[in-house]
Amino acid sequence: MAAIGASAGSGPVWDPIVRVTHWATALAITVNGLIIEGGSTLHLWVGYSALALLVLRLLWGVIGPEEARFSSFPPSVAGAVAHVRDLAAGRHGSHPSHNPAGSLMVYALWAMLGLTVATGVVLQTEPFPVEIERHGEVAEYDDRHEDDDEDELTEFVEETHELAANLLLTLAALHVAGVAVESRLTRRNLVRAMIDGAPTGRSGE
Amino acid sequence: MVLAALLFLQTFCTVFFIGDVVGDVIVEGVDLHIAFEAAVAGALAVGVVFAGLEMRRTIDRSRRAEAAVSVASGAFADLISVQFRSWKLTPAESDVALFALKGFDVAEIAELRGSAPGTVRAQLARVYAKADVSNRTQLLAVFTDELLSGALPGLGMRSAVSSATGGQPESQPPPP
Repeated sequence: MAAIGASAGSGPVWDPIVRVTHWATALAITVNGLIIEGGSTLHLWVGYSALALLVLRLLWGVIGPEEARFSSFPPSVAGAVAHVRDLAAGRHGSHPSHNPAGSLMVYALWAMLGLTVATGVVLQTEPFPVEIERHGEVAEYDDRHEDDDEDELTEFVEETHELAANLLLTLAALHVAGVAVESRLTRRNLVRAMIDGAPTGRSGE
Repeated sequence: MVLAALLFLQTFCTVFFIGDVVGDVIVEGVDLHIAFEAAVAGALAVGVVFAGLEMRRTIDRSRRAEAAVSVASGAFADLISVQFRSWKLTPAESDVALFALKGFDVAEIAELRGSAPGTVRAQLARVYAKADVSNRTQLLAVFTDELLSGALPGLGMRSAVSSATGGQPESQPPPP
């Protein structure tokens, strides 16, 4: 199947699962990181959505089509460095999946999203607080923890959550910048490929 | 796209149920009710995996179909250029003939090529003469006939067409 994916254009053709999880995760990160306050019910639900998206994408990395699989974009620092050097030298080959630098970013984003979600889940004692009407449920739970050790632990998890979230946002910004640079240098519309799944043929060809 | 959204919804529900079960086990311990809930959550998780596998198959199938169609259309373009060469069409005549095959009329071809309609008409007449046909329909029929009967040895038309139709038996044109 790799041959077909590669023959359709010079870049990967992203399937719907990759595209949906990509943009939905981007939305969830933006909303939870920049717009909604932490600790609100909506924040928790958006967080759980992000977890589900991550789970689905990781599952897809095992059972999905060739270009969505982990085996198509192994993390390799040497590969990423070589790719950046090639780009700087004006050589841009095509990749059947993420380019080597992009792959590293993908794994870094997943790791950071995983850490953010995991610490977020731990912070929330009651999973899935459905009853939005029961005000102050979160606070109620916090009040029950009068044990000092637990408080310290909670604080540590909270700090980790915030740190991971900030790192995630930073990585996301770097990711956007990387896509912009790569798109510009190779004259391929990588963003469009992620929106409508079109092969990233070079413009003008 | 809708399937992908549905699969996400399914995954979300699975995460919800698993989270719910884990939460219940921590708070209340295991009883029959929770064990059953755990089984439901597990079944849902398996369902997600199978739905994913099914989606994978759908994607593979549609990509194979697309690839086959593009092979077929590439083969048709090959067929046309080989035929044009065998008729010894000049480059200008080849252009005009291709436009004619694509369904443009004389006025449109003239406009596209920036030449006078009279010139185009004369070029078309020479194309018809070289191809030994008397009109555009017959010119097109030369190619559709080749495509359906799989003539032109060496081009591998037959295999390309049969793979394009997914290996279904080709319909032979009725004898003229």
